[in-house]
Amino acid sequence: MTTATTGSASVLTRLSTVLAPLAGLVLVLVLAAVTTPQMYTPDVVRIVLFQVGIIGIAALGQTLVLLTGGIDLSISGAMAMTSVVLAVTTGGSDGRLVAGVLLSLAAGLAVGLLNGGLVVLRGVPPFVATFASLVLVQGVVIAWTGGAPSGRIPAGLSWLGQGRVLGQVPVPVVVFALLALAALVVLERTTAGRRVYATGFNPDAARLSGVRPGLVVVGCYVASSLLGVVAGMVNASYIGYVDAALVRSLNLDSIAAAVIGGVALTGGRGRVGNTLLGTVMLAVLLTWLIQLGAGAGARLVVSGAVIVLAVFMQGRPVRIPRITAREKDTT
Amino acid sequence: MTHPTRRRGPRRRVLTTTVGLAALLVAAGCSTEQEGSSSSSGSSAAEDCINADEAQAEYTASWTSVKEAFGLTDFEPVDETVCQVDGEQWKAEPKQGDSYRIAFAAQGPTNSWGVLSDEALKYHAKELGVDVLYAAANGDATTQVDNIQQLTSQDPDAMVVVPMGDGISGQVKAAVDQDIPVVLCSGLLPDSSGAVSTVTRQYDLLGSAYAEWIAEKLGGKGKVAILSGLAGVPTAEYQKAAAEKTFAKYPDIKIVTTQYTQWSPTVAKTVAQNLIASYPDLDAIWSDSGYGALGVVQAYQEAGKAVPPITGDSINEFIQATEGTDVQYALSTFPPEMSSTCLDTALDLLKGEPVLDKVYVDSPSFTDADGAQYARDDCDGGLLVPSSAPEDLLVDLKMCKAS
Repeated sequence: MTTATTGSASVLTRLSTVLAPLAGLVLVLVLAAVTTPQMYTPDVVRIVLFQVGIIGIAALGQTLVLLTGGIDLSISGAMAMTSVVLAVTTGGSDGRLVAGVLLSLAAGLAVGLLNGGLVVLRGVPPFVATFASLVLVQGVVIAWTGGAPSGRIPAGLSWLGQGRVLGQVPVPVVVFALLALAALVVLERTTAGRRVYATGFNPDAARLSGVRPGLVVVGCYVASSLLGVVAGMVNASYIGYVDAALVRSLNLDSIAAAVIGGVALTGGRGRVGNTLLGTVMLAVLLTWLIQLGAGAGARLVVSGAVIVLAVFMQGRPVRIPRITAREKDTT
Repeated sequence: MTHPTRRRGPRRRVLTTTVGLAALLVAAGCSTEQEGSSSSSGSSAAEDCINADEAQAEYTASWTSVKEAFGLTDFEPVDETVCQVDGEQWKAEPKQGDSYRIAFAAQGPTNSWGVLSDEALKYHAKELGVDVLYAAANGDATTQVDNIQQLTSQDPDAMVVVPMGDGISGQVKAAVDQDIPVVLCSGLLPDSSGAVSTVTRQYDLLGSAYAEWIAEKLGGKGKVAILSGLAGVPTAEYQKAAAEKTFAKYPDIKIVTTQYTQWSPTVAKTVAQNLIASYPDLDAIWSDSGYGALGVVQAYQEAGKAVPPITGDSINEFIQATEGTDVQYALSTFPPEMSSTCLDTALDLLKGEPVLDKVYVDSPSFTDADGAQYARDDCDGGLLVPSSAPEDLLVDLKMCKAS
């Protein structure tokens, strides 16, 4: 009986990690309906979906790294770098688009390997390693472009940021959906996915089980950087120009989306569904605040408060009172 | 002032208030006989102001040129007292060797504005045979505090500072206290900094000129959205405050929302898409940047809606994107190449020549009526046009192609 009760408590505790962000999302949606009815017009829904797409792609990479117990602060660097690589190598010409994309992916691969290498081979804390990578990438971009990144993104890529499926659904959210589905399958249905969880939950135990945690960690950092490149392509093609201020807040957004959804900062806990939930909530929240006409200060306060609340709840999971056999007898 | 923030780019003709001013002042005698001559502001501070009338005339001229360019009927300068600095106090021979060494506490090449600001000063220094001690803050005030301390320790003849924030005032004061004349460049600091002269484009002017253009365009009635750059950053907030003050004169103009674009066309485009949904009957958009305006134009065009009258600084890409359209706009510039004027001002001080305590740089302003002529297909989209930076410098920086 005790085991069964404990099992129920565990299920409920796990459910709470989904229910809490879901409740938050419902709350925001209701508040939005009351305060800004235009939130539900097709135009605004499309804005939300676009935000879901761009934040979600970056958040997927962040989720993989978080699951291993790390964090990736270089995602925005990979995005900015992609924009510059695309513009500089293609000169805005569709003819060189493939080369530009391949070079962007190669650059993303290099950043991912650097992050993974620093963390695994040198034992550098992920926060420090990826922040160093971010600074390094920024430095390389400044040195390469003389500090004035500029140029156009090939028009042939505009469908990625500006296109709509069936005339309504922004392409970025479709890309995110496909990538999320792939991540879901890999994490939930493959050996590789189980190794990711095992590594994040207990790397020593994983090693004893024959998993090579280092390889898993490096793989996740590489995947994160490559997803950052994809997010960078989406963002660059959305505006069509190199935008030096393009991805200033994407690091925070990607972490926030995963954490709000319930992915643990300590590693080993969290699912793609959590990230999806957190991404949708963040996108709705950010759009709602703009619709409300909230100032930048209010937006940061609300976003920060939601993240703090999410982290707080992660640290103190909902506890279900355990009924012992003795208590059972007395009733 | 955090200039990573500053998204302004180069432009062609910077008509600085220093042009001919020295001659004017010298001709006027530069004497203290004119002390107490009242400026148009009528400030009590003007009582101790040297050459107040001439200085004030130069100040007023920068407002008049924008008034004429935008075709404004009601646009007067805000009160400001501009005086002449006694250059004799700072007259000095080079401390080392035959040429002056000028310390340059720069923003650093964090964006195209910063690149051209840095390089224009270095280019001009080379022309004049002046040595430059350079330190880049990379847009960070804390870094700049350290930079100024290090530059001061090298005992330069004078220092030019592109201020990254009020937090550097103490270091500027310390440099001045060591008899190093400091010229602030492309930004402001409190008077307590002790800087000898400030060379900048006036934020009040830009913010209020854009607002006045919109007010007159709307006949004093309508709904307006304000798109500022970065919240809390002085370069953005000064302009926004000036705009709000101007709009307040028109009771029938309603500011329906104030948003921040981070001076990013991408962010501005997202914000504008929200504006279209929330305020479909918006009459005009006050934007402090061309990058912001560019995102707005894209959002409206993609939505198949007419772009409301809009303002901003004149980046090449915006002018190109609106060429052949009926978008109504008013643009001006915050020229990075004014750094060469900053250098001239520092050197004037060392030569004992008269300079103003506030040199308000004038630069081209224009509307959609004549904007197309400034588009440059041979130059980068981020270039602020028209640029007065030397052509060979623009080519060297790969901002323009060689002709």
